[in-house]
Amino acid sequence: MKGIKDKVAIIGMGCTKFGENWDMSFDDLIIDAVYEAYEDAGIGPDDIDAVWMGSYWSNLPAPSQPLATTLKLDYKPVTRLENMCATASDALRNAVYGVASGACDIALAVGGEKLKDSGYSGLPTDDLAMGLVSTAPNTFRSRNFTAPSHFAMMATRYFERYGLSPEEGREMLAKIMVKNHRNGMLSPKAHFRMPISVELVLKAPMIAWPLGLFDCCGVSDGAAAAIVVRADMAKSFRPDPVRIKACQIAVGPSEGYLNPNHDWTMVKETWVAGQKAYEEAGIKDPRAEISMAEVHDCFSITEGVIYEDLVFSPRGGMREDIEAGTFELGGELPVNMDGGLKCFGHPIGATGLRMTYELYKQLQEKAGDRQVKNPEIGLSHNLGGTPGGCTISVNIIGH
Amino acid sequence: MTAIEKPVPVVNPWAKPFWDAANREKLVFQHCNACSKNIFYPRIACPDCFSDDLEWIEASGKGRVYTYTVVESNAPSAFVDDMPYVVAIVKLAEGIQLLSNIVGCDPHSVVCEMPVEVVFERLNNEFTLPKFRPI
Ligand SMILES: [Zn+2]
Repeated sequence: MKGIKDKVAIIGMGCTKFGENWDMSFDDLIIDAVYEAYEDAGIGPDDIDAVWMGSYWSNLPAPSQPLATTLKLDYKPVTRLENMCATASDALRNAVYGVASGACDIALAVGGEKLKDSGYSGLPTDDLAMGLVSTAPNTFRSRNFTAPSHFAMMATRYFERYGLSPEEGREMLAKIMVKNHRNGMLSPKAHFRMPISVELVLKAPMIAWPLGLFDCCGVSDGAAAAIVVRADMAKSFRPDPVRIKACQIAVGPSEGYLNPNHDWTMVKETWVAGQKAYEEAGIKDPRAEISMAEVHDCFSITEGVIYEDLVFSPRGGMREDIEAGTFELGGELPVNMDGGLKCFGHPIGATGLRMTYELYKQLQEKAGDRQVKNPEIGLSHNLGGTPGGCTISVNIIGH
Repeated sequence: MTAIEKPVPVVNPWAKPFWDAANREKLVFQHCNACSKNIFYPRIACPDCFSDDLEWIEASGKGRVYTYTVVESNAPSAFVDDMPYVVAIVKLAEGIQLLSNIVGCDPHSVVCEMPVEVVFERLNNEFTLPKFRPI
């Protein structure tokens, strides 16, 4: 049967504190995350058969060799990869595929990013991004477009489509970020551990209408790692391994800004990756069967649209579910228990594995004050790029 | 500190008629003679039927704002002095869509479905950019 369900298990994970880690280099971050994973799994570098490492902006160009040297993975197969903000999720997918194929028994997936040395907040400018992805259509994709404005255009259209006034729409979105900060306050490794209120979100400086400062995640330094093995070997390492149920990625055709059929109230790549992951994992009713999710809340509207694209909420239904507290820590389907990108932080190439780290700890009942009751299945959703041209990863893990 | 210059379009050979027309303050797009589709952005062949029997026709320049944002914060770049400015998806009457700016109005007066028309802004000696203003 097609797919990797239950063929591979996670036996160890690590994650650094996310934040402005001025006293740590990219190498330091990677080492901390990987050695926490070794300790958790009870193995060492000699046991690793193959490695997939992700980073997006850091150390460009960053070939595999310096990274392999950093971790003393001498003469091992080490591959560096990137898939924009979904880089770490794709590192995990590659490591899982390596084990599922039978090519190796024990694989390491790592993601890391060092962003806070750039001299300013936010990501490198559009000019640099365009240089990296220079293709003909980009000239027609507008050069004075910022990352937040790509996502803001989903919010304005969403409000229009569902008849929300700007005030109603902004308040609805603010509640998502208030939830994520409330959760992240309980995460010792989170970057922005402060409570925020709806009032604070609404009064914050505008970044790209209708998104203000607290509708936007920041960027951080950090790294995360996972060790995966053949599922039949997993219990020889630990009594509570976590199984991989699905790893899917959908990469869009990147012409949403120019295709008149593109709908700005959804992200089609999320819908496709979600449907394929549900099929691979054998999930028929996502809202009922998924215990919890870590999703890509780079902006408040992004998380809202994800609820609908992953069929947690019906189309146009995010407001009702936000008001009902469906996605709160104690709600029907908790989302971003560790604070998400907004509160935990967003080191681009590490984020996907940070999401898996939280699901893994939750499934092992080790999430402390954030513990979800009896979780069975956890989903991570990681978005690379922007609406209209993105890479979406949906990974599902569970018992 | 020297001023950062605004980036200029990268002109592929097959897109040159678009930029040449813009310099004459005309908005043009491609039309596929094989399947009758209107096409934007400029292509070598029709993305629907792959025919290369394409011709350039002039747009009415009239459309509506499908969605938009007002950019009020930006990383160091040539666009900081322009803030706040409106980035919008404009759907033209001919069924094609452009990403452009809405100018000539209070940025916060822009709304979805607002009718707009093309207006041309000279960028430098070489390039003129089509933008839109409320009708
Ligand atoms: Zn055609």
